[in-house]
Order: sequence, then C-alpha cells, then structure tokens
Amino acid sequence: MKVVLENLTRVFPNRTKGGEDVVAVNNFSFEIPDGKLVGLLGPSGCGKSTTLYMICGLQKPSGGKIYFGEDDVTDLPPEHRGVGLVFQNYALYPHMTVKQNIMYPLQNLKGEDKLTKDEMLKRTVEVAKLVQIDNLLDRKPSELSGGQQQRVAIARALVKMPRVLLLDEPLSNLDARLRLQTREEIRRIQQETGITTIFVTHDQEEAMSISDMIVVMKLGVVQQIGKPQNVYDDPANLFVAKFLGTPPINVFEGEIRGGMLFIGDDPVLAVGKPDRKVVVGIRPEGFILDERGPMHCKIKGVEVMGRDVSVVATNEASLNPVVRSIISAESKVDVAAESVRYSIKPHKLFLFDPETEERIPFEV
Amino acid sequence: MAQKTMKEQKMQTVTARSRIGSTVVKAFTYLFLIVMAVIVLFPFYWMIISSLKTLAEYKWAKPSFWPQTVMWSNYAEAFTTANLGRLFTNTVIVGVISTLLSLVITVLTAFAFARLEFKGKNVLFAGLLATMMIPGELFTITNYATVNSFHWLNTYTVLIVPFLVSVFYIYLLRQNFLQIPNELYLAAKVDGTSDLKYLWTVMIPLSLPTLISITILKMMGAWNSYIWPRLVANDDAHRMITNGLRNAFKDTTGDVNFPVQMAAVALVSFPLFLVYIFLRKYIMKGVSRSGIKG
Amino acid sequence: MVDSKKQWKAWLYLAPAIVLLLVFTVWPIINTLRMAFLDNYNGMRAVAGEKFNIGIENFKKVVEFKDFFVCLKNTALLCVITVPVSTLLALLISSALNSIKFLQKFLQTIFFLPYVTNSIAIGMVFAAMFNMVRTVRIIQTAGIVNNVIMFFGGQPVNWINAGSTYWANMVVMIIYIVWNALPFKILILLGGMQSINKQYYDAAKVDGSSRSRILWKITVPLLSPMIAYVVITGFIGGFKEYTSIVGIFGENMGPASAAGRLNTMVGYIYDALPNNDYGRASAAALILFGIILIVTLINLQVSKKRVHY
Repeated sequence: MKVVLENLTRVFPNRTKGGEDVVAVNNFSFEIPDGKLVGLLGPSGCGKSTTLYMICGLQKPSGGKIYFGEDDVTDLPPEHRGVGLVFQNYALYPHMTVKQNIMYPLQNLKGEDKLTKDEMLKRTVEVAKLVQIDNLLDRKPSELSGGQQQRVAIARALVKMPRVLLLDEPLSNLDARLRLQTREEIRRIQQETGITTIFVTHDQEEAMSISDMIVVMKLGVVQQIGKPQNVYDDPANLFVAKFLGTPPINVFEGEIRGGMLFIGDDPVLAVGKPDRKVVVGIRPEGFILDERGPMHCKIKGVEVMGRDVSVVATNEASLNPVVRSIISAESKVDVAAESVRYSIKPHKLFLFDPETEERIPFEV
Repeated sequence: MAQKTMKEQKMQTVTARSRIGSTVVKAFTYLFLIVMAVIVLFPFYWMIISSLKTLAEYKWAKPSFWPQTVMWSNYAEAFTTANLGRLFTNTVIVGVISTLLSLVITVLTAFAFARLEFKGKNVLFAGLLATMMIPGELFTITNYATVNSFHWLNTYTVLIVPFLVSVFYIYLLRQNFLQIPNELYLAAKVDGTSDLKYLWTVMIPLSLPTLISITILKMMGAWNSYIWPRLVANDDAHRMITNGLRNAFKDTTGDVNFPVQMAAVALVSFPLFLVYIFLRKYIMKGVSRSGIKG
Repeated sequence: MVDSKKQWKAWLYLAPAIVLLLVFTVWPIINTLRMAFLDNYNGMRAVAGEKFNIGIENFKKVVEFKDFFVCLKNTALLCVITVPVSTLLALLISSALNSIKFLQKFLQTIFFLPYVTNSIAIGMVFAAMFNMVRTVRIIQTAGIVNNVIMFFGGQPVNWINAGSTYWANMVVMIIYIVWNALPFKILILLGGMQSINKQYYDAAKVDGSSRSRILWKITVPLLSPMIAYVVITGFIGGFKEYTSIVGIFGENMGPASAAGRLNTMVGYIYDALPNNDYGRASAAALILFGIILIVTLINLQVSKKRVHY
C-alpha cells in the first residue's frame, strides 16, 4: 500500500497571549511507494513524530491530505485506517500476558471482520513466530527484556495485518548491542511481510542502515528525501550534510577567488565559479594524506579505530573545533610532526551559501 | 470504477459515523457530569435558599426555588438560638491551640526520626506506624476513663491534649524531611548551625506545603469533631460547634423551624467553604495522601 | 556517630510525642484488652475497689445482647451497599472527568466539595430535604424530595419521620453516605487515571477499542491498586459509620417512633460509656477491631488476585 502525503500541515495554536503558533509540520508532500521501509529523520522538535501520529490518525492535520493507496484517510479515525503503531516505550499493557497483548487488537474487531477464538489464537501464534517470541507467550511484559518487549510491541502492531506499519523511535530504548540486532530484525520482518513501514528516528546511522528511503526534517520542514546513500552523497543543504554521517562532516569558511576555492590561504580545489564567500563541507573520508597536497592542518592526535585511523587536527578556517579525517590504517601518520597535508576528493566536498545554507553545485 | 466509489462511500460513512459517535459520547459525558454535579451541589443550594425563606414560604406545597422575601433575620435568630458566638469562640480556641501544639510536636518528632541517630529508632518508628491500624474507638474508652480520673472533664485541656500526636502526620512529614538531601544537614553541621536553627531555616521552609496541609486538615478536624467533645465537654462553657449545633436543634424531622435551622447549618458551613475556595490545593494534596477525614 | 549526647538530644525531641502516646495510645491498648477480659468490669465499681474475675463474660454479654446484632446488621448492610455503589459511581465520574478538557478543573472542584463539609450539619440539610409533616391524611410540608416525587406523579414516601419503614431510612442513609464518600474516591481514582501513561490509550485507539472496552480492559486493571485502596478505606470507614446517622436522625439513632433502630457498632460502644460499662464497651471495640481486621485481610487477599502488577 503506497502512502501519499499532500501538503500535510500541523499547527499547534499557542495558548499564551500574543505568542506565535507553532508550526510542527509545514506543507509536507511525499509519496511512499508500496512495500518500502522509510525513515523519518531529524533532531527532536523537527515534526517527525507529529507526522507519524498524523499518518496514524492520533493527531488531526491542520491542512493537507493523507492517502493510503487511492483512499483518502485524512478524516478517518485510526481504527479504520488499518495501521499498526509501535510506541517508543512499547505501551504494552502491564496487566496482560504477551499472548493477551498481541491478541488484544483482534478482540476489538467487529461485524464481518470478527474472528473466532481459534482464528485469533492462530494469528497470534503466527505473528509471534514471525518476531520469534512464540516461547514467551505466557509471560507478563515486566518479565521480558527490552528487546523482547520491542518484539511483542511489533507483533501487536502486525497482528491485524495492517496496511501500514508505523514505528516511533523503535530503537531508542535499547542498549547499543541490542540496537544493532533489532534494526536487522525490523528490516527482516519488514521484508518478510512486505508491509509499507514508516519509522521515526533521530539517529541518522539507524535510519541510513535499514531504510529504503529517508526523509530529513528540520523545524517542520522537509529538507531532503531520497535513498540514504544518495542523500549522503548529495546533500541538499548544510543542515542535511551536517546531520548525516559519523564522524560528522567538517565545515570550513571558504572563498572562491578566480575560480579557485581557498580554505584559509590554501588553494584547495578548482571549482570554476564566480568569486564569492562560501561554506565548505568535507566528509572525513574525503581527505587523502598527501605531502604535496594543497591543504594543511595542525595535528592534535590520532585515534585508532581498527581498520581505519581517525586523524584529529585543527585549521584556522574550520567552523568545528577540530578537523577529523578518516584514512586507511596502512598509511603512516607522523604524529610527532606539527602539521599534516591533505589533498581532497572532489566528490566528498560540498559548497554551501553562507546565508541560505543551500548547496552550490559545481563541476570539477 | 464503480467499485471504487462504493468503497469511497463506505469510508465516508465510517468517517461521518465516528465523528457523530464521538460528538454524541462527548455530549453524554458532559450531560452525565453536569447532572451529577447538580446532585452534589443541590443540598448546599437547598440549605442556602431555605435559610433565607420565611417559615410560611418554606412550607409552601409547591416549593419556591428562590426566596420571595429574603429573611436575613433567620441568621440572627440562628446565631442567638444556638449561642453560636460561644461555640465559635470555643472551637477557634481549641482549634488554634491544638493545631499549633500539634505542629510543634509533629515537626520535632519527624525531625528526630528523619535526621537523628539513636538506639531503637527503627523499632520505635515501626511501633508508631502499627498503632495507625487500630480504630480510634478502641482508644476512646480508656481515654474517657483516663481524662475522667484526671478531672479534666469539661475543660479546654480535654479537647486539646489527647489528640495532639497524630502518627500519620509524623509519618507524612518524616517522608517529606527525608527527601531533603542529607548533604544540606551535614553542610549545616560543618558551618556550626544548631539543629533547631537548621530545622527552622531549612527543613520547615522546604516542607511548607505539607505543613500547610496538616494545619488545614487539623483545623477542619477541630471544626468537625463531634464524638469526643460530646463525651467529655458537653457543658455550655466548652461545647464545640458541631456538638452545639446538634444540641441546639435536637429535632431534625417533624414540624421544625427549618429556615432558622438551615441558617445555623449555613453559618457552620461557610467557614469551611471559604477555606476550601482559597486553600483547595493544599486540602486535596493532603487528603489524597492521607485518606482520613480531619 | 552515635554518641551519648546525640542520643540524649534525640529523646528530648521525641519526649512530648512519646509521653502523650504512652498515655493516650499505648495505655488504652493495654487497658482495653485488660478491661475486656475482666468479667462485668465497671468503671465506678472499680474505683470503689471491687475486684473482677478474668473471663470472657463481656464478650458473651455483647453477643447475647439483642441490640448488638441490630448494630452489626446496620453497619454491615451500609458497608456492603455503599462501598460498591460509591466506588462504581466514582469510577464513572472520574473516567468521565478524565476524558474532558473544558470545565474539567471546575467540575473537579465541585465534586470534591462534599468532602470539606461538616457531616452533622449537612446531615441536617438532608433531613430537611427528606422530611415530611402530615396530620392524619393531609400533607403539610412535603420536603423537596417528596415534592419532586409528586411532580413526576409518584406517591410521597415517609422517609425518616415517625412511622417510616426501616428500608426508607436505609435508602436515605445510603444516599447520604454515598454522597459523602464520593469526593475522596473521585480524588484518588482521578489522580490514578491521570498518572496512567497516555500511550496505553493511544495504543488502544489504534487498535480500535470501544470506549467501554478501554474502561474495563485497560483503565480498571491499570487502576486496580487505587481501586483496592478506596475499597479498603471505604470498608474501614463504613464499619465506623456513626456521625452521618446522628446528622440525619439525631442522637436517637432512628426515627422518633423507633429510636435506636439505626444504631451502629460505634454507637453501641459509645452508649456503654456513660454507664461506666467499660468492660462491655472494650469487648465491643475489640470485636469491631477484629471485624475490620478480617474484612481488610479479605480485601487484601481478593485484591492480591485482582490487582495487576
């Protein structure tokens, strides 16, 4: 089932006198193709959860439309939309066993959809098997680990065979190791069921690793939509460039003089653009150790990360406290040396307008 | 195509139905609450308008819901009939003194249990809590005999002293004191602050809401107490308000001058209403943690 | 840390409370037990120097005394009826309150108002409302409740006056006690509901639960500790019922034609005091304590099975 958002807007009226209304989501249009896993990504307060709740039907949009397939569901109450929602804290009913929790949505079905007890039990066991908790059916939520609770919550959301599955910060309550495991699990379940899935996260790594598509949001406005790799390789603006990638992108003040991009006094790259001031973003993996490279930095230290090393350095023009580059462990870095020189991979370097922060395209 | 429009129609009805459904439920919710609120308020309303009617109007076959002639004189009559002035004075004297003394004792005891170290502290505290389970009626018999043998009957002392210690308030305040970080106390010790000064300048200001709750509930308790005062101080000089009200109007049914009786009832109730209107927050907070009346 | 000077100081702080507790709490516990098991113990005669045998005569007397069972029956009936009724009503009112925004605070204030009233005083108001004066066949004053009944075409009822029936009296008592018990229960239950995580309700909404299903399958189980609390305190309070009856019927504890008909356990204990029948009163108080203890234990046992998590 494809999901179409059309000019979706949500305004929270400000109750204090004279205060301005808060626009949580502003004019969001997007078509989510059938059967895809989509991540809504952004810092807190960017409107991603509000968007999710509007798709789910728990919050009413102030403007715009939501379609599931061809059906306009904008005014439909949540129970008629055919959605499954997994809450950040799972919201498992503490007084019910796992089985009762999963079965609960089925017991609410009325009329022609009503199921017999056997059918309910069969569906419950099926979905429990899918998320691999069929051995825990008689436990109470308090007797489960965080990861197990998460699976129960997913099972409960899936048991009604929803048209769309929604997950609100699904991994934020898990520890680092479980997080890795669970995100693979979500990917697997999504692919096995083929249900269009939308999830919300503030963790870019999480979104990049499992999504078919990501939507980056900031202050209620969509910044960029695309495949994770494409968004990473081709950010639309400085915000997106900064938000994606660990370690984060290095940002410098720069200037174009005579078609040449200068960072400080170093002529870094010929970009063939008219003279102007710019903001330069360089991905950590965009640096190549090169004794005759055009860019210099002062070395502060080296962090070994196994396969790679991360060189921590400073540069007067840097807008971050340090400049971080990732290079292969085989290349030798002389820590004792005062400075280091780099050449830059052109496709890992982006130019932005200092005022609008929009991307300035250039040809090498 | 035809199928699609049918589906669309069905969806529209679902939307409309759920919208109507929730409006109807909302309406019923408000209707239910308002009906219940009217039932809850009705006795107060009836008390006030009855207290302002003439006796003749009160007896009308078709009752009036607003007095035709407002009889303020009912209040004057009630005041003298029940000797309310004396009763108010007695109640205020007993209420204020017992509340003040009770606060001092509660604060000192709670402080000792919360901050001081002494042998047998935990056993003693557990013993105190255990007494809360025993119904007060069990104490009353012996206490009646005790105050009798002290020759305290018909004095203010008998109304004040026996109930000065409330284990529950001690417990409540101790919990509150324990939430204040012990580092503050240790810091005060390092600075050479005395215990009493620390208590007065740090602990009491920080637990003021609880102390206010205790004060209000204690005062209300004095105002509403009936059983004990009736047993031990039922003379004209020391009678308290509730007891006096009951004494002045012995007949609750039959051919009674209800307007005057209601005026007396209203006079007893108004101070409580005033306290409730202005100090609601503290009362509710205190009550939700105690669940005992007065 | 624990030096002797500190010990001494702690006891100084505790002294007033301990002295008062010893005299008015600890001694009564011991003394009540003592008096209850001294046959026919009487305060006056004890002062005169009479000695009493140890035995269970007092308990026998209490149980054999006809009025005691009247009191026990009244108390138990009032408890068994008013606690469930007021709990259910409070549950409905608080869940209704919890589902609205507009006027919520205002209505909450109104519903709590009966708590801060004087139960004797408002009992007199209820008496006035249910009162009826008639000479042979002509009704002189009907009281607002009967006025309303007659307005809807019903027959006036003699609720509380001379010649009224036991059940008419009980209905009035039940209405008054429920009216009195609602505020506390609403306060506790509404507070409990407001602390239930909103996500449970969102989840139920997505699952398409009906409103009544949400109330019975989610709210009530999650609220079960609070419900157990108000039921237990309700029973404890109910077994000590006394002043509300005095409020409506006066110290007669019943309509003029049948004084004492509505007397309760507590009333029974206090009636024995002015006669110096301390032995009997003590025995009755211990029986009351025993009943309360048993009822509370049963309640706890039931709620252990029913209270979730």
